[in-house]
Amino acid sequence: MDIREDLEYTREHEWIRREDDGSLTVGITDYAQDQLGDVVFVEVRPVETDVTAGDMIAEVESTKSVAEVYSPVAGKILNVNENLMEQPELVNSDPYGDGWFAGIAVDGEIDDSGWLSPEEYKDLTE
Amino acid sequence: MTQRSPLYQLHDGLGARFTDFGGWEMPVRYGAVLDEHRAVRNHVGWFDVSHLGRFTCRGAGAVPTLSRLFSNNVDKLEPGRTHYTMMLNENGGVLDDLLIWRWEDDEFWVLPNAANHDMVLAAVAGEPDVEVEDLRPTTVMIAVQGPKGPETLAEIVGGAPKRFGTTRLDIDGDEIAMAGTGYTGERGGELVVPLSRADSIAEQLTSVGAVPCGLAARDTLRLEAGLPLWGQDLDPEHTPLEAGLGFAVDWDHDFVGKTALETQRDNGLARHLVGFRLADRGIPREGYPMRTPDGAEGIVTSGNVSPMIDDAIGMGYLSPIHHRDEIEIEIRGRWVPARRASPPFHR
Repeated sequence: MDIREDLEYTREHEWIRREDDGSLTVGITDYAQDQLGDVVFVEVRPVETDVTAGDMIAEVESTKSVAEVYSPVAGKILNVNENLMEQPELVNSDPYGDGWFAGIAVDGEIDDSGWLSPEEYKDLTE
Repeated sequence: MTQRSPLYQLHDGLGARFTDFGGWEMPVRYGAVLDEHRAVRNHVGWFDVSHLGRFTCRGAGAVPTLSRLFSNNVDKLEPGRTHYTMMLNENGGVLDDLLIWRWEDDEFWVLPNAANHDMVLAAVAGEPDVEVEDLRPTTVMIAVQGPKGPETLAEIVGGAPKRFGTTRLDIDGDEIAMAGTGYTGERGGELVVPLSRADSIAEQLTSVGAVPCGLAARDTLRLEAGLPLWGQDLDPEHTPLEAGLGFAVDWDHDFVGKTALETQRDNGLARHLVGFRLADRGIPREGYPMRTPDGAEGIVTSGNVSPMIDDAIGMGYLSPIHHRDEIEIEIRGRWVPARRASPPFHR
């Protein structure tokens, strides 16, 4: 299972990348896409949507089940990966790259107390 | 206790993921489900279906027993042929949907769903003048499905069954039994193979290019073909008439549940199973509510994406007062438009 050293993680199997401009990019992990199986449909909430930590920002449907993706912080959805509308399989083929879900502009200080380091996330998935 | 297919190690070597189905730990997928699905539609795939029920029923009591217990009429089934039938309760509800393979006048194979094998076997064995033999401990069952299914079977075992026909072949003293049946809507057949030959048949199938496929692809394939799954689309609360499977009911003989079905036939159906195609994004799943603009209501029993048409499809029971093709499915709080559609969805 691929776990990237330069990312942080949640217990709900999202990955988080801190961008230079202070925003966060969010996706689901290699473990999550593998558990879901073939992703056939992704719906991300629209740009400008205000979110609080734990709010659903996307739904992911696979041939097997449906999963929800949650915002790791309070903020506003800055941009969404429009390519997932036509190519949901990017979530399977490149979960940490072209399969990203959304960028989030953080509202105030980041509360990362519930986030996991790569090592902690690895422990979670083993 | 969970059982494993005799082919478990072989599947493991092919990279299978496993799932529990009807008390059996079976491959759910090897790689991508969509690739397995498309392989069966465009080429050929093979499935280990050793979990499926199968037993022999022989003897002078075989015809009267199978005729009384099941809705289709075995008297009309010729030796060398198979048919689809139902075991019903007194209310006409579906206890199991199954296949009968007829070999001789008094020799049949009965193939229930995995989860109903013991129940159906016990019911048949309890009737007079029949001998039953459980085939599950001594055989594996493999489905070979796809447009290239017949030629693949010919290459591996030296012959292919006709559609709904049965045949037995001898390979170096091992008997391979086949029927021209399946659960995908494609050509090919299902093989019952003695354990001693199980691995070699599976290996040969893979080596000639038949793609190993798991239960997940089997489910999307059967849904796309409009074939119902017992436990979802069929159950003891619904009758074959409500499910639109009247072809599996023969009125020219007496069987358990017939009186209830006659009443239902004469008085009209309170609901029936309809297929639909989603007109918007989303995936309908088992248990989601359905409704129509003219007030009909129902519940989705099966739904998924159709890999061949790239739209979501499904089926569910709907009260019969609707007159138009518009249906709506409630997907997690949102009513999504759909249109009634007749399976197979992909053709």
